[in-house]
Amino acid sequence: MKTIQEIQADIVEEFSVFSDWMDKYEYLIELGKGMPLIDEKDKTEANLIRGCQSRVWLSCRAEDGRLHFAADSDAIITKGIISLLLKVYDGQTPADILAADEAFIGEIGLKENLSPTRANGLVSMIAAIKAYAAAFQAGTEEKPRDLEADVVAALRMVYDPEIPVNVYDMGLIYDIQADADGQVFIRMTLTAPNCPIADDVVAQVREAVSDVPGVKDVQVELVFEPEWTTDRMSEEAKLELGML
Amino acid sequence: MEARSIFPALDRQIYGKPLIYFDNAATAQRPQAVLDLQQRLCVEACGNIHRAIHRLSAEATDAYEAGREAVRRFINAPARENVVFTSGTTASINLVATCFCERFLGAGDRILVSEAEHHSNLVPWQLACGRQGASLEVLPVDEAGELSVEELDRRLAAAEGRIKLVAVTHISNVLGIVNPVRELVAVAHRYGVPVLVDGAQGIIHETVDVQALDCDFYAFSGHKVYAPTGIGVLYGKTRWLDEMPPFMGGGEMIDTVSFEKTTYAPLPLKYEAGTQNFVAAACFAPALETARALMDDPVLQENLLAMRDFLLAELGRIEGMRIYGCPRDPQRKIPLISFTVAGAFPADLAQILDKMGIAVRSGHVCAEPLLRRFGQTSVVRASLAPYNTLAECESFVAALRRAVNMLR
Ligand SMILES: Cc1ncc(COP(=O)(O)O)c(C=O)c1O
Repeated sequence: MKTIQEIQADIVEEFSVFSDWMDKYEYLIELGKGMPLIDEKDKTEANLIRGCQSRVWLSCRAEDGRLHFAADSDAIITKGIISLLLKVYDGQTPADILAADEAFIGEIGLKENLSPTRANGLVSMIAAIKAYAAAFQAGTEEKPRDLEADVVAALRMVYDPEIPVNVYDMGLIYDIQADADGQVFIRMTLTAPNCPIADDVVAQVREAVSDVPGVKDVQVELVFEPEWTTDRMSEEAKLELGML
Repeated sequence: MEARSIFPALDRQIYGKPLIYFDNAATAQRPQAVLDLQQRLCVEACGNIHRAIHRLSAEATDAYEAGREAVRRFINAPARENVVFTSGTTASINLVATCFCERFLGAGDRILVSEAEHHSNLVPWQLACGRQGASLEVLPVDEAGELSVEELDRRLAAAEGRIKLVAVTHISNVLGIVNPVRELVAVAHRYGVPVLVDGAQGIIHETVDVQALDCDFYAFSGHKVYAPTGIGVLYGKTRWLDEMPPFMGGGEMIDTVSFEKTTYAPLPLKYEAGTQNFVAAACFAPALETARALMDDPVLQENLLAMRDFLLAELGRIEGMRIYGCPRDPQRKIPLISFTVAGAFPADLAQILDKMGIAVRSGHVCAEPLLRRFGQTSVVRASLAPYNTLAECESFVAALRRAVNMLR
């Protein structure tokens, strides 16, 4: 797939054949008419960018580390420019999108459309594209967070045999640390010290967590400081135990 | 008289084409006499008004008060004290919404506005109602865009004294229809309810006589009557201006000040806190002189009507055209036409017209509730001034047809 710079250069080249603004606008209008619309179901309030002159809708979906955008506007010239922007950004990685700029719009003589005072929603749309890229990038960089989520899911399968609520929702887990190398550290407690089955529960936790894909080593520390209280239970746990 | 030559802006070329300025309802161009006075005062009489004994201050004060006298005469206000300078229509309305409502609007009361209001004659009332625990009542327009005097009567009767003020536009900036304000005021007064008239558009298209209209307040902006931006007027009846509390504090609005008690300056200075935009205020004199001359010129007035009729007829021939504001009496329509064309989005039309040197307005034109009433979020608006020509109208129609064809 072409890089952002290559696609921008192609667009500048394409527009260089137009000698007057009329041809340029007719081309933009054609682009606007031809552009695949955003799915009607994605034309939601959440995806709406409101300008004084026109409205723009933008939705974003991530696949294999690349972002795919769909967009629409009620103004067709705006839509034509959107289709240029999507040509550039659709299918690119978040890092490339964040590194790119929109100078090519100025090079093809449409700079006025990107002025913040135009109120056509385009400037906000570009900001939204970058925000999606930034959010997605932040998400991928914190990949170990996903491991942590998987660890939590595993902990939810572990029960103290006396209690019909899993150890996580009981609030018995005080700390989870999962690093990129698959090293997991868990600090936990039990509802009461001197619990006869303490060793049993700790062993179950260790086993469940080491079964999580990506986990190489698990350490479990059992503590009774601070003391566990019912305040640590989730709402669901309290409900389950008839405490609400 | 030759109107075009006194407005130097009209000589401009836009993208190599002669400017056709059809956005006069937003801001009118300024005549040379206004530009000259503005320049002269900035150079020769830049001294703070009402404050010093020196010559520059005295000249600036004289020019400022001459501007006020020009306004007084133009709207036939009874006295100088009835003419308060503000920064514009919006500021004038906010002044009344704040001061009148603080004094006269209570919990459970209502302010009545029409459905055709500019946001500037709607949002200040919403804010005031919020502060006072009051609510807004809306007088609807019909499909033609007209207000009903009888409906106002019914609403006032049904409200049983809870409507404390009626705020209505003289001419809507979207519909271009001259509302029957004199009749609306008469009905409201039968119920003892005061009326504020938003005159932002009315002031330039109608000969306004506030005493004949008998309205309690009349608000307008300088920049729509050939004066600079940043200046406007609130006309108010003495009774209200006396009874309302001051708006902002400070500057010339005081009589004496002590930490225990401050007394206020007599009208109109009571409402003119802080150093005023005296250069712009002074420019009302040449601006209104120009406005009067243009309004009194029968050839120019006939031309305005001819342009209006030409545009209404020619636009009507474009397929998918819808015009907003078609009064039963066609003479109530000013040369201000808001429209949509099926299959061509307003912002696109305006953008293409701009490339052809034609300035029109597009968007929600600060009247979202009114556009919603007609099922739109956006329109194109062409608004004319006496310096426009029939030839420009012809070019506009041709350009519009071309733009529509490009878009459809
Ligand atoms: C009917 C009407 N009311 C109020 C205003 C607000 O005027 P200004 O922006 O000068 O305060 C306008 C101008 O756009 C108008 O047309």
